Amino acid sequence: MRYEEMGLTEGDFYSRNFQKGAREDTLILNLGPQHPATHGVLRVIVELDGEYVIRAEPVIGYLHRMHEKMAEGRSLYQYLPNMGRVDYGHALGWNWALVGAVERLAGFEVPERAEYIRVITTELNRITSHLLWWGAFTLDLGAITPIMYAFDDRERLLDILQMATGSRLTHSSFRVGGVCTDINDKFVAACKEAIPHMRARLPMYRDLVTGNTILRNRLEGVGVFDADLCRRYGGSGPVARGSGIDYDVRKTENLSIYSRFDWKVAVQQAGDSMARYLVRMDEMEQSLNIIEQALASLPEGKVMMAKAPKVTWAVPKGESYFAFEAARGKAGVHLVSNGGKFPYKIKLRSPCFSNLSLFAEAARGTLLADALAILGSLDLVIPEIDR
Amino acid sequence: MIDTLFSPLPVQCLAKCDPARTGLAWSVFLSSADLLPAVRLLYQAEYALEDITAIDAREGYLLVYHFDHMDRQGRLALRVLIPHETPEIASIASVFQGAEWHERETTDFYGIVFNGNPNPIPLLLAPEMKFHPLRKEDGARVSLIDMLPVGEVLRSAPGFDLLTPKAAEGGGATGA
Amino acid sequence: MLSIIPPELIRIVVGMVAVMAFVAINVLVLVYAERKGAGHIQRRPGPYEVGPHGILQPLADAGKLMGKQLLTPIGADPILYWLAPILSFLPVLLLFVPMPFGPVLTVQEVNLGLLLILAFAGINVLATLLAGWSSNNKFGLLGAARAVSQSVAYEIPLLLCVLCIAFQYGSLNLSTIVEAQGSWPWQWNFVCQPLAFLIFLVSSFAETNRAPFDLPEAESELTAGFHTEYSGMGFGLFFMAEYANMVVVSGVCAALFLGGWKGPGIDGVWWFLIKVYALLGLIIWVRWTYPRVRFDQLLNLNWKWLLPLATLNLLATVFLMKVF
Repeated sequence: MRYEEMGLTEGDFYSRNFQKGAREDTLILNLGPQHPATHGVLRVIVELDGEYVIRAEPVIGYLHRMHEKMAEGRSLYQYLPNMGRVDYGHALGWNWALVGAVERLAGFEVPERAEYIRVITTELNRITSHLLWWGAFTLDLGAITPIMYAFDDRERLLDILQMATGSRLTHSSFRVGGVCTDINDKFVAACKEAIPHMRARLPMYRDLVTGNTILRNRLEGVGVFDADLCRRYGGSGPVARGSGIDYDVRKTENLSIYSRFDWKVAVQQAGDSMARYLVRMDEMEQSLNIIEQALASLPEGKVMMAKAPKVTWAVPKGESYFAFEAARGKAGVHLVSNGGKFPYKIKLRSPCFSNLSLFAEAARGTLLADALAILGSLDLVIPEIDR
Repeated sequence: MIDTLFSPLPVQCLAKCDPARTGLAWSVFLSSADLLPAVRLLYQAEYALEDITAIDAREGYLLVYHFDHMDRQGRLALRVLIPHETPEIASIASVFQGAEWHERETTDFYGIVFNGNPNPIPLLLAPEMKFHPLRKEDGARVSLIDMLPVGEVLRSAPGFDLLTPKAAEGGGATGA
Repeated sequence: MLSIIPPELIRIVVGMVAVMAFVAINVLVLVYAERKGAGHIQRRPGPYEVGPHGILQPLADAGKLMGKQLLTPIGADPILYWLAPILSFLPVLLLFVPMPFGPVLTVQEVNLGLLLILAFAGINVLATLLAGWSSNNKFGLLGAARAVSQSVAYEIPLLLCVLCIAFQYGSLNLSTIVEAQGSWPWQWNFVCQPLAFLIFLVSSFAETNRAPFDLPEAESELTAGFHTEYSGMGFGLFFMAEYANMVVVSGVCAALFLGGWKGPGIDGVWWFLIKVYALLGLIIWVRWTYPRVRFDQLLNLNWKWLLPLATLNLLATVFLMKVF
């Protein structure tokens, strides 16, 4: 071949590692790191027998930024904006995971109004995250149009979120002991207007997209995981709930003020891609319920606790773990502090990381198109996997 | 719960923690030989793997395995201390397959070798990287007693003194 | 001097030039229509910057494609690699030869017109296969494999539907078939052959590799399938061939099932064009509405549904022809 003449060797470290023990008549295909279906810089090496995937191995780390090392050289205030960059889809979920870990360690009580603002903005952010996923996932399945409708609605919700958090994507408005800015009447009015709008849109999506025969045929019975597989791999969020596990950190750990609202954890029993799809669609409705109730009972008061920590504040000694139900699953922050200016160690437990790790087992033996449908149904955000 | 589950195991220290203050319900110190049996027990009790990480402390690398139960609140931290000189431990990927990636990540960051990992190649860092970014300098390492809460110790092996305060200040045992 | 050249040849040369112009203009118009239509389906304006309402966008795109460097990938077979796009586009022009645009507007009356169209349309599969095979790209190879099994499979029901009509009129000449249909919609063939019409429509979607059957170039699976490696006009020719093929299948469908150039009021080329563009609009509309089917589902649909139904339909047609 002309490769050798040019001094090129085929494949890099990972594909050479993967090729060991491959069958003679199979095709090794690199999907990514630049591939339309991998949403960013995920790379999946697959071994194909015709169109069937014999083996798949995700290769990650192309967007690795070592957030955990950054934490060792910054005070918590300086570190907070990093959280918006971990998961651009549901930035506020990660915000909450970090401030929650700190508040838990320091034993801080957050003012009532701040809790409400956190719930409202986080749930709004969850809807925008699910809309982003919905558009991108249907795009993976070859339906090009839904993403435009999803982004239309998402833009509208981002306009509202922008009033409360000051940013549209990498929100970092939570602070240890509260939130940085109060919400105003304009925000409340915009929210109250957006809820009926979204309630009208979701049934339309259900009729136009969810009920489509081609879509159902592409998703039903594809990539079935059982609860045991989720436990072995640590799958969480909609992935676990699609497999019939009634597990939502907001409910199970009784986080914040979520128990005050009337909402249900969306669970589907089938465990296939369609179940994960439906869980996310239901979650958007549940989030709307939560926002509506939170707005109705929004208390007055301060949004930062008294004697809130300053920028140079040192976290007290100790260890804490705080998990929050982000849009993609359980986002956990494991904080270890020796009482110094910077945290001694922060470990970010990324839901996508665990969810992607089960892909190799789930995709084995499926068709290439199914493997990509499974990949899409896991709702991956690459920066969160690579951290 | 965990104290009855782990009753057949010679744990080094088994403590109940305050979930409101630490997020953990249980904290269990194990010797590296007892890790796999403990993990098997957890799998049978339907625990789910949450994450694996390490803390680079003065006494050695403290590996922390977080498990959680999906039906009720009860996060559990298994802790295994391994020396800096020989950072090796058995892989638990045979029981919890998801551990494979967490272990590879820990190998990248700390240089800890997990024996028996099915695919021990770099995960997040470049294969040609020769150093481990989360390892600390000798001077920067802190004793475990200065960081970890003790909790309410239910069982402790004789001679386990990792969390015994050497001075009078005491650990952060708020729940006890 | 002129008398030496046979008049048929002049007619063919003039016709081919006209067809070339027609195809080129059609591709430009269709690209614009598709992008504008897609835009409106997706709640956005579509092309808007080049010319009024973006009307010159296709010309700008054509200029861009022609200006691009033509790259041959390492390890590709240079001859086959560049033969493929040409092979894909050239036969398309031939397909217009027997197309009955109007009562007299046909390049050349061919007795076996339908056969000619079906035969030359088959070359497109070869071009797709060559493109995927010779470009030394795994996505291309997978796309080519898909294209071949898809085209070969769907050609059969397509052919069976065409045969129904041919049996009914005892002719493979498109003009004759159009002549035999009446001016009013209920006199057109889709009324007496509804099943054949539907199967023809579905199969023609698959034959032209259009969504929801665009598997050979399934973007989210195979990046761009068989034409992954092509740059500039290499890709441009595939692109033009795809649109020209769309026009051909719409034209054949209009002639076979929708009465061709006949219509209420004055017969003429306008009726043919209206029908062709309505069908093209349908193809575009479907593409921007539906997700893509999976490969096994695509083949199942063909072998388990379309093929048996088309066969039954053909048998029924033959039986009824014999009885009455």
